Amino acid sequence: MRRALNALIQKELRQTVRDRRMMVLLIAVPTIQIIVFGFAVDLEVDRVPTVVVDQDRSVESRRHVRRLFADGTLHLRYQTQDTQEAERLLISGQANLALIFPSGFQRDQLCGRPTQVQAVVDGSDPNRGRSAGAAVGGYFGQVGPMLRIAPPSGRVSVEPKLSFNPGLDTAKFMLPGIIGVLLLLITTIVAAMGLARERQTGTLEQLMVTPMAPTTVILGKILPFAGFGFLDLSLALTAAVVIFDMPTRGSLIAVYATAGIYLVATLSTGLFISTISRTQQQAFLGGFLFLLPAVLLSGMLTPVRAMPAWLELATWLNPVRHFIELLRANLLADAGFLERWPNLLALSLYGLFMTVLSISRYRKTLE
Amino acid sequence: MNTVIEVRDLTRRFGDFVAVDRVSFHVEKGEIFGYLGANGAGKSTTIRMLCGLLAPTEGVAMVAGHDIRDDARKVRAAIGYMSQKFSLYLDLPVRANLEFYAGAYEIESPRKRVQEILELLDLEVHRDQITGALPGGTRQRLGLGCALLHRPEIVFLDEPTAGVDPASRRDFWRLIRSLSREGTTVFVTTHYMDEAEYCQRIGLMVDGRLAALDTPRALKRDLVPGRMFRVSNVDERASRAVLSGMSGVVDVQPFGTRLHVRVRPGGPEAPDLGKQLSQAGLSGAEIEEIEPTLEDVFLAVVDPTKGSAAA
Ligand SMILES: Nc1ncnc2c1ncn2[C@@H]1O[C@H](COP(=O)(O)OP(=O)(O)O)[C@@H](O)[C@H]1O
Ligand SMILES: [Mg+2]
Repeated sequence: MRRALNALIQKELRQTVRDRRMMVLLIAVPTIQIIVFGFAVDLEVDRVPTVVVDQDRSVESRRHVRRLFADGTLHLRYQTQDTQEAERLLISGQANLALIFPSGFQRDQLCGRPTQVQAVVDGSDPNRGRSAGAAVGGYFGQVGPMLRIAPPSGRVSVEPKLSFNPGLDTAKFMLPGIIGVLLLLITTIVAAMGLARERQTGTLEQLMVTPMAPTTVILGKILPFAGFGFLDLSLALTAAVVIFDMPTRGSLIAVYATAGIYLVATLSTGLFISTISRTQQQAFLGGFLFLLPAVLLSGMLTPVRAMPAWLELATWLNPVRHFIELLRANLLADAGFLERWPNLLALSLYGLFMTVLSISRYRKTLE
Repeated sequence: MNTVIEVRDLTRRFGDFVAVDRVSFHVEKGEIFGYLGANGAGKSTTIRMLCGLLAPTEGVAMVAGHDIRDDARKVRAAIGYMSQKFSLYLDLPVRANLEFYAGAYEIESPRKRVQEILELLDLEVHRDQITGALPGGTRQRLGLGCALLHRPEIVFLDEPTAGVDPASRRDFWRLIRSLSREGTTVFVTTHYMDEAEYCQRIGLMVDGRLAALDTPRALKRDLVPGRMFRVSNVDERASRAVLSGMSGVVDVQPFGTRLHVRVRPGGPEAPDLGKQLSQAGLSGAEIEEIEPTLEDVFLAVVDPTKGSAAA
């Protein structure tokens, strides 16, 4: 089995390296995509159009407005006294953030009473929503203690209010999602084409008259492309860290181990698709039909928590969701491998199931 | 002699269509067994069942001592297969294909064996060429090479010479015969009747059924009784009409610009045919007695009214 597996891997690598289109697909495309997507996300971070409703019109409120807009993340587009007007601007999309300083803000502040600034974030664009929320939260989080020093017990708290999409975070939040989807796209399509191409060109028949076990053949298709997957992961991580300052708080070993399980899951899904398709075109289409819901229900764009309960339940079957959550937890929050065990378990079970399914279908694919 | 392939009532249906219909035969070790038939007769379907690529609908087949249903893996280890459609990796060099199959079969000292095969099949000069760029005959040799790497007891060759030039076909058959001499059993399908003469025994497939099975000589004797004459150098259509009407003539078949005339035992002799033709104004005919070919056998089997039944 070892030698047959080696032969399969070597053959697959030789074929791939010779195929210029495959090399572009496997290496150039992901690198370019992470950079393009990354910038797309990064650019949107700046200059969130904001409407300020300063009902207090005090020295204090004006001071906070000035400092809030100092770093350029937020862009002061409108000022009004009317919360209704602000709401209209939010709904029409002219502003993505409304900041409401209630009347009595300065008075409460100076008397040391807890004070509230309301931030209404338009969550329909999650990237902007997150960065706006982060900017406001970050600002008051920092200045809060300082305020407390001047007036002994004065406090400002922000009460963020979101129409939907409550996941507030920085743009860096997006990068693990992009990496997960990138790996998904490449590996699923490559694997789906893998067996379908061998069937269409007739080489599958020749493989099947060898005494190689179906497990060997399926592993021989998974392992080399998992290798390319790791390469893509490394390229994407490097780009994310170097260009976009993505933090890597957790252990890289855990990242690669998780990615290994994920790649088995996506590759075996692709292989399964190719065992049920007759031609390469069918396999491609089948791959696409899987990719679409897998991306939409992954939590990359719309947080899983914001989905209806039944849909949220369905996302447990989605390997992309688990990988993105594991990757986020690991890179951004340094959650240990094991703290996220439900994701890890779901991902592993999915990968195992799909691999076994592909193996059991392999022999049936000729008839 | 020992039997290496034994097939009993092997049947394969695709829906309602019966591609292989209760076929029974056996093949001995070292034999060259030819499987003949028109396109769609069920040759490939039979081979694919014997190689474990397709499950039989009914019937039993033992290949190299193993049941193809229960021990498919052992069967696969003992056989080599060359499919009708070229099925090696066109995008890899010749040697990479051989190395891959050497690994897939986990053969001992693969490097040495690959070299042996390159030499045996005269592929040494092509070894670094991309397989897709090889001419037809060379490709087929490579296909055979991959099928022989693991020294199988039996090789199944499905139309190995289809679309190959005559010189390469002769070379290929020389290889097949030398394999057989060394004890490898060769199960080969073809629709070239001249090649079938090289086979020790021949199974004739007609519409999924094994219509005849014997040595080429016995097939000719039994299925094409009487004598055959070849008529040349006259207008083919006119003389065909004249001769078919003659008493004692069983069948007249055109072969190129010539005619093969089959007569009943005790029927007309060559001079009688010549006389008949010149009486009809067709002079100058050259007539000689010939051995019947397998083509004649095939025609007799496909159309039994002209075969032994009519004789
Ligand atoms: N997978 C299949 N599904 C349906 N029909 C098939 C299949 N394979 C072969 N056939 C049919 O079975 C018949 C025999 O085919 P085949 O064995 O390839 O013939 P041969 O090799 O003698 O030309 C043909 O009519 C063919 O169309
Ligand atoms: Mg055929």
